Amino acid sequence: MADAVAARVIATLASVKRIPAEKIALETNLQELGIDSLDVFTLLFELENAFHISIPDDDVRSIRTVNDVVEGVRKLIPAASPGTSVGSATSAD
Amino acid sequence: MVPRRVVVTGLGIISPLGQTVAENWESLREGRSAIGPIHSVDCSTLRFQNGAEVRGFDPLAHFAGGKDAQIDRFAQFAVVAARHAMRDSGIVLTPALREQSAVISGSSVGGQLAIEEGYQDLYLKDRGRVHPLTIPRTMSNAGASHIAMDLGFSGPTYTVTTACSSANHAIGQAFRMVRNGEADLAVTGGSEANFAYGFLKAWEAMRVISTDTCRPFSKNRRGMILGEGGAILILESLEAAKARGAKIYAEISGFAMTSDAHHLTQPTVEGPSRAMRGALRDAGMTPEEVGYINAHGTGTPGNDPVETRAIRAVFGAHADKLAVSSTKSMHGHALGAAGALEAVATILALHHGVLPPTANYDQCDPECDLDYVPNQARSIQVGAALSNSFAFGGLNAVLAFRAVHS
Repeated sequence: MADAVAARVIATLASVKRIPAEKIALETNLQELGIDSLDVFTLLFELENAFHISIPDDDVRSIRTVNDVVEGVRKLIPAASPGTSVGSATSAD
Repeated sequence: MVPRRVVVTGLGIISPLGQTVAENWESLREGRSAIGPIHSVDCSTLRFQNGAEVRGFDPLAHFAGGKDAQIDRFAQFAVVAARHAMRDSGIVLTPALREQSAVISGSSVGGQLAIEEGYQDLYLKDRGRVHPLTIPRTMSNAGASHIAMDLGFSGPTYTVTTACSSANHAIGQAFRMVRNGEADLAVTGGSEANFAYGFLKAWEAMRVISTDTCRPFSKNRRGMILGEGGAILILESLEAAKARGAKIYAEISGFAMTSDAHHLTQPTVEGPSRAMRGALRDAGMTPEEVGYINAHGTGTPGNDPVETRAIRAVFGAHADKLAVSSTKSMHGHALGAAGALEAVATILALHHGVLPPTANYDQCDPECDLDYVPNQARSIQVGAALSNSFAFGGLNAVLAFRAVHS
């Protein structure tokens, strides 16, 4: 089951690509969703707004799956933020 | 090579009068104005509240996978109008034709909505960041580029930006490319989406916007009314169109452009006159052939008498025999798209044998003393027509069309 961070990431992705959230799983490859480089920019922008974080350019290059995004966001959220203590069932890709 | 005759075989239009060619024509024929209270912007702090907006345009109905958020409204209008125009033309694209096709669009302000959204985020909401696609959304060539990507045209593609003449300049360039054999097909027109608060404030400061409606050539005219939209024409050679048995709307016979070299906002009689004469000469058309002029007709105190004098200067006694109307009275002034919306109106007038009226006309002005087809369309088949566009900065562009009867 997805935790709060993962759920928020998936909802953001769904909104950016205008697709139902049910079509997105943690192990889904971003390419499979038709996410291109412009979509990635938009996704990062929306995630920064949603989580009040700033995502460094270097963190972006290794993103391949939805879970990569979730874990990347998790690292950047301040420790006290809600949703950071819940582990994800699928941490490996 | 011998210059080719160039015909219009496809039309697409998204305007305040409707989102199909048929809807637009019905409104023009009925003299129905789309001018009304502006909905998309809070105008309570503006001196004017009326405009001609495209209502009910749903980007999600046209763009999937989040593409709608990548493309500013002005470029969305261009793409959707281009799709409609291509479908209307019935042209079957081959790889060779795709390479031999030009896409030339006009836009005056480009992605104004995206610019203002970014400024709001930065300066008003203090977000410290703007949407990551602000640059590609705002670029004025987005319309042409998205048309090329959407329909797969890989020939010459660019955008002309000459304020209110942008679309006429674009169509004129496209016409010449097809005539000269530089392109076998051209997708051309213009689009604009400018209902953004800062932009409306800028127009307010120019003091040229009417507080009620647009009454071109009428003595009680009080200024222009802003519009928005997009229109695209498909141009090809007469030979190619005949060879495939295409429906031909009209022929583009001539084009000319001049500069007043005078004043930013005050038009001259000479600049527009020379542009009209040039278009006639380019078309090999006598003044007496022209039965209709789709005027620039902004409804400002400045433009309309000067345009009237320019028409008199070019046509002499024949000026009293031709009909002149400003369809801006119905679809508003769509700036960089104006020439495209008006080219469609002119082409359909030739095609259907009906001249669209000047709506909201109710007071004769001694300074505007031509036949402006007041308020009611006129059933008359004219052989040729001009479409005038004159821009701030003194840039004039005139297209000449001939009726084609199959």
